[in-house]
Amino acid sequence: MDHATRLGPSGDLSPAVAALACGLALASFGMLLVEMRRRERGGALIAGTGLFAVVALLAAVLRPARISARESVVGARVVVLADTSRSMALPDAAGRDRRRDVRDEAVAKLQAAARDARLVLLGFGEGPPTPLPEPGPAAGGQRSDLGAALRALAASPEERPAAVVVVSDGRLDDPPEDASDVNLRALGDALRVPISAIATTREAPADASVRRVSAAGAAVAHVPLPVRVEVGCDGGLQCDEVLVTARELREDGPPMELTRGVAHVRDGKAALDLTITLERAGSRIVEIAIAHQPGDKIPENDRRLVTFDVARERVRVLHVAGRPTNDVRALRRWIKGDASVDVVAFFILRTPSDEVHATQNELALIPFPVDELFQEHLPSFDAIVLQDFDAQPYGLEKYLENIRRYVRRGGGLVMVGGENSFVAGGYAGTPLADVLPVELDGKPGATSADTSPFVPEWTPAGATSPLLAPLRDVVGDELPQMPGANVLGDVRPGGVALWRHPTRTTRSGGRMPVLAIGEEGDGRTVALAVDGTWELEFSELGAHTAGRGHGALWDGLLGWLMRDPRFEPAQLGVVGGCTAGQPPRIRVRLPQAGADEARSIVLDVSRLDKPAPPVHVEAARKADATSVDVGLPALEAGGYTARLRVGEGATTRYDFACEEGGDEWADSRPDPARLRALARVTGGAFAFAADAGSLPLPKPTRVSAERHVTPLAPPWSWTAAAAVLLGVHWIARRRSGLA
Amino acid sequence: MRAGLVLRPVRFSLVFALSCVGACACLALTLPRPASAFGDAGAFDPRVLLTGNQTGPAHESAPGRWAWELMQRTSAPARLHASVVRADDPAVVLSPFLYWSGDAEVAPLTGAEIAGLRRFFALGGVMLVDDAGAGERGDESPFGRGARREIARVLPDATPVALGAEHVVFRTFYLLRRAEGRVQGPASLDAIVRGGQAQVIFSEHDLGGALARGASGTWERPVVPGGDLQRERAIRLAVNIAMYVLCSNYKDDQVHAPFLMRRRALYTP
Repeated sequence: MDHATRLGPSGDLSPAVAALACGLALASFGMLLVEMRRRERGGALIAGTGLFAVVALLAAVLRPARISARESVVGARVVVLADTSRSMALPDAAGRDRRRDVRDEAVAKLQAAARDARLVLLGFGEGPPTPLPEPGPAAGGQRSDLGAALRALAASPEERPAAVVVVSDGRLDDPPEDASDVNLRALGDALRVPISAIATTREAPADASVRRVSAAGAAVAHVPLPVRVEVGCDGGLQCDEVLVTARELREDGPPMELTRGVAHVRDGKAALDLTITLERAGSRIVEIAIAHQPGDKIPENDRRLVTFDVARERVRVLHVAGRPTNDVRALRRWIKGDASVDVVAFFILRTPSDEVHATQNELALIPFPVDELFQEHLPSFDAIVLQDFDAQPYGLEKYLENIRRYVRRGGGLVMVGGENSFVAGGYAGTPLADVLPVELDGKPGATSADTSPFVPEWTPAGATSPLLAPLRDVVGDELPQMPGANVLGDVRPGGVALWRHPTRTTRSGGRMPVLAIGEEGDGRTVALAVDGTWELEFSELGAHTAGRGHGALWDGLLGWLMRDPRFEPAQLGVVGGCTAGQPPRIRVRLPQAGADEARSIVLDVSRLDKPAPPVHVEAARKADATSVDVGLPALEAGGYTARLRVGEGATTRYDFACEEGGDEWADSRPDPARLRALARVTGGAFAFAADAGSLPLPKPTRVSAERHVTPLAPPWSWTAAAAVLLGVHWIARRRSGLA
Repeated sequence: MRAGLVLRPVRFSLVFALSCVGACACLALTLPRPASAFGDAGAFDPRVLLTGNQTGPAHESAPGRWAWELMQRTSAPARLHASVVRADDPAVVLSPFLYWSGDAEVAPLTGAEIAGLRRFFALGGVMLVDDAGAGERGDESPFGRGARREIARVLPDATPVALGAEHVVFRTFYLLRRAEGRVQGPASLDAIVRGGQAQVIFSEHDLGGALARGASGTWERPVVPGGDLQRERAIRLAVNIAMYVLCSNYKDDQVHAPFLMRRRALYTP
């Protein structure tokens, strides 16, 4: 801080008044000079006394004072916005330095050159800018949103900067590549300061990549989905034809190829339209990959993992019933009553022992197309309902392996009880038994049914399960009496019993499950060991509830099979996306917990695209929490499936992908032209990183403090001096012949 | 000389015979026991509906015979001893089918009977109204007229329509060209259709009369004018109605259409 002293007018005069007084004084002296042409003699005397008189008069008005102050020079506040997105981890064209290192060097140069400026170093990526972390192995964000950072600065209550300097590779999400000057100028208008730019990179690295994958509309199960794949090839890489493949990552086996095509590259880019069909609803991971190109320095962006949230337009159900009964009738009526369900039904209406007393042509019976259904069309169904159906007489046994595979690949299966179901239907020990949620006893002499009437009991999991919530809303705790039950074994690992038998036990001593659900591979299965759910319609309970219980039960069962979010115990999502090498967080959204509800949350994460050790994480839920964030360890790039279990209830599943670079690496080309245009339209300057030190910055501001004003003389003395000198000047005029 | 299997006498020893018995027993033990019956709760029950002073169906043996024919001819389970329920009994809602037959004037339904039947229909139940007093030309008896009148009181917002041979009830199991019973009557059935389902089916053919069979095994009533062939077709209609109750409009599914159209073209009764 410096001390400074200077002269000035009295402090009670505004600068305008002082200037006016000076002007009048000059005018008076000028008029005196003009008047002197009429003098007779004594010109020097008149001029001299006139000048002193005017000066004295001006001094009497201004009353000069000595002003002393302590002053300081404050540098202009300059905000440096450094790109922290993941694209800054890409190498330069020579493949040596990473853009992040070049950025840090440029910032250092800028700091060294800007001694008179106050540099505030912030990083931008997603949302408002944040203090730039120390240089190091930061992984970077998934976005480079300069627009959001500038808008946040403009809205900040802090001191407005005098200038903004952006340090980036220019590959920004906002402003986009094709932004016009008007759009770029609008970014600067928010702050009304010049935006300068420093580009970290000049040339693109040798890289072929999947730049963009876009789908025309939402993904719907079974419906072909057009997908446009944009391929880039730059940095001197020679690629004319690039093979593109689309594969779905599945838990039950290796990725399944959906389609492939060849992209013809012209001027470093190509667009290829593919059509994929996803058969299963829910979150599905599709890998879009290009064949490796020789010389490609960034192989990580040769594939993208795209998560499709596959919806269902209609649910396709295959309903196979072993014989027509009231239970078959009720289920048939419910399925047909739901306009969103497409049903293909086959009921066995005649057995070989039946005497129909008619020729084949007099019968309305058609052969059961077991081969066609279970070999050819099976994948086209979302769910299979086997109701009171014996596999053996109709040749289904040889297709049970197909059904197991179908379930593990994401299909739904319900086995409904009856005298031909479960053990009695010969399913014990078959591949189909492997996917049921309960064990079946196939030992010699095994009992297949308990024919004593009973009322099923709710298990604790059943009483709190979202999939049975609609039924409980209708019937409460009450259930109708069932005429008997198929004998089932214990619930298999991963399964959950929702209803149980009040008295009958399994070999392990536990109560026999009557209604159980389970997950197997990608699919889900339901075992319902009774054929009396029609009594939710036709019974005294049904009459009290207008028969709504039956529909409510099947709404929940089929909805859960189809992963309808309404019937899931929780909703999962990755907070901020998943980047390879960075610990992701899974956000678990839960329904409001009851007082006695389970608090434990168990999350099992397994790799979809290749074998890898699973990750097991446990967390606790607070009593009133409806959202819990579960941290995972850092994951490699790939597809993952997360299974969540809350307490002892059913599991819910969520597929997600972790990418090495994601969108930020998809297009590795730098874009200095965009930065240059931004600087130009906002009045800033542009430089490459090597010249960062020469970037012009705003000048500092001088600030005064402790100002003291001391009059040179009392006001009356200036007035007296002016009067005396005016008198002397009057005498001189009279003697010279002027009036 | 006819070629065939020649059976030779085989000398069985006691040990061999016991071995065979033991082997069979072991074999039986190795098989899971069938789930024979969860009772017959889910089986087709031709429940007899009684109203007013009615004490039974017009033909006592008809419901049981109907169930027997259904079990003999189809895979559907049925109750050989049909239950009986009064319209004002809360049990009227315990099963999805009611069989109302008679040949005499129907007493006006009481409020409780109407309420009971309305609950039954609201749940989606199906009723067959069988006019046992129908004339040979299908003329309605006092029961037929009275039943229609009373059903109109139960379901005042619905009017019966004719179900022709194109309706699914004529192809739920057998392919039928027309309706027939003890009397030939009209070719069609009348029905009150609600929510796409024929909930009340009116037969003016005395279907029960064609089904009724005495303890001695003889048919109780002659079938006119077609005799045994017409009786067979009447039994087939009864089977179809039972199948309609159990399978609803299953045979309307598109998957059956090409087969049934071909069969219709081939079948000439």
